[in-house]
Amino acid sequence: MMHWIAIGSAVPDLYFPLVIYYSFITDMKRNAIINWIIGLSKDLFSEGSLGINSIFFVAIGILIWSIRGVVFRGHIITQILVTFIFSILYNMLYATYIAISFHSLHLLPTVWKILICSLYTAMIVPALFWVLNTFQPTHKFSLTRDK
Amino acid sequence: MRISNPSLSHLTKNPLTTIIILLAISLLVLFLPSRLSNRIKMVCITPIQPLQWTTCFCSNTVSNFFHNVITAWHDAQKKRQLEVQVDELKNKIIEQQDIIYKLNNKLSNLSKFQPENRTTGASIIPADIIGYDSSNFRKSISINAGLKHGVKVNNIVVSRNTLIGRVVVTSARSSIVQLITDPASRIPGRVLQTREQVIIEGNATAFCQLKYVPRWAKIKTGDDIVTSDTGGLYPPSLPVATVIKNEIQSGALFQSVKVLPKVDISKIESVLVITQW
Repeated sequence: MMHWIAIGSAVPDLYFPLVIYYSFITDMKRNAIINWIIGLSKDLFSEGSLGINSIFFVAIGILIWSIRGVVFRGHIITQILVTFIFSILYNMLYATYIAISFHSLHLLPTVWKILICSLYTAMIVPALFWVLNTFQPTHKFSLTRDK
Repeated sequence: MRISNPSLSHLTKNPLTTIIILLAISLLVLFLPSRLSNRIKMVCITPIQPLQWTTCFCSNTVSNFFHNVITAWHDAQKKRQLEVQVDELKNKIIEQQDIIYKLNNKLSNLSKFQPENRTTGASIIPADIIGYDSSNFRKSISINAGLKHGVKVNNIVVSRNTLIGRVVVTSARSSIVQLITDPASRIPGRVLQTREQVIIEGNATAFCQLKYVPRWAKIKTGDDIVTSDTGGLYPPSLPVATVIKNEIQSGALFQSVKVLPKVDISKIESVLVITQW
């Protein structure tokens, strides 16, 4: 399905918005478990070491959970921006891990790819969050800034 | 003071402990040998494979559907373009057919005329009709042969071995032919069957009339009129018209005879100019 929505070599990360979503709506413990499962499932369906994505996702999830009180998480712009920034962070971490493991990444193409993929991931967030809200109406975001 | 040991349930209630446990598991699987790690992957993926296959199948079906829709749209556009091309080519075929018809006609004219006039040594110039008289009361045509082609004033113009007129004006590359139906046209003729001398006069219609036909001349419908050698302007024995009606009015000196030119001028496209006979 990914080749449908690919723009050039840029493919959105469909797992990452789930991390953002559950980090916004669940408590810390559930957030960690869900993100760990999401990370593990990503590891299962992708080439590479088992467990690396679960570590990154749990870490990113905790970071997002810790800042969610100071942002308007119900606002679409906030969701997009948070996704974009943390997607860059996650992709950079992952690229560093790959670079250390295989020494095969070139800087500029990697930076460009990180930016494009993060942007694309951030762009699909409104649609994905709408779908998730539809399936989980009890966890809908409120526009208030709460903790 | 009683100190209780923390149980597993107590530990898992603490989020930090949960995170540490999860990270520990992750690190554990991360540093597993790749062979074992891959085996775990395969074991976990195997139950999900039917779902994966279904998703992939649905995705491919939908993808193929959209691909087909897009292809059909492209095909429709291509079809429209091809239809336009076919129309253009059809028009070209019609144009070519028209050219072939004209050439055939010209060739047919030449081949008919040439053997008949070979003995007389007639010199002929083929020409296409390029214009008709704009006046309702004059009957003439323009042809695309002129002085440069050897056409001169008073040259005779024929089509299908039938007289249709004579050249009255010439320019370098074109000429004007006064048709036998023109009111100013007077052609000395002869009734083929009765050998009566007549004058064929145009009247600006599709017909001509015969002048000076004596009352006693036995002319009947269907008689042929040919050119006579009187005057020397027209070659003798050239078919001109056919009698379609004749009547003798009481008190009139001559018969009134209506003739129809053998060639319908409006339907011919090329002519032959006889410059010498």
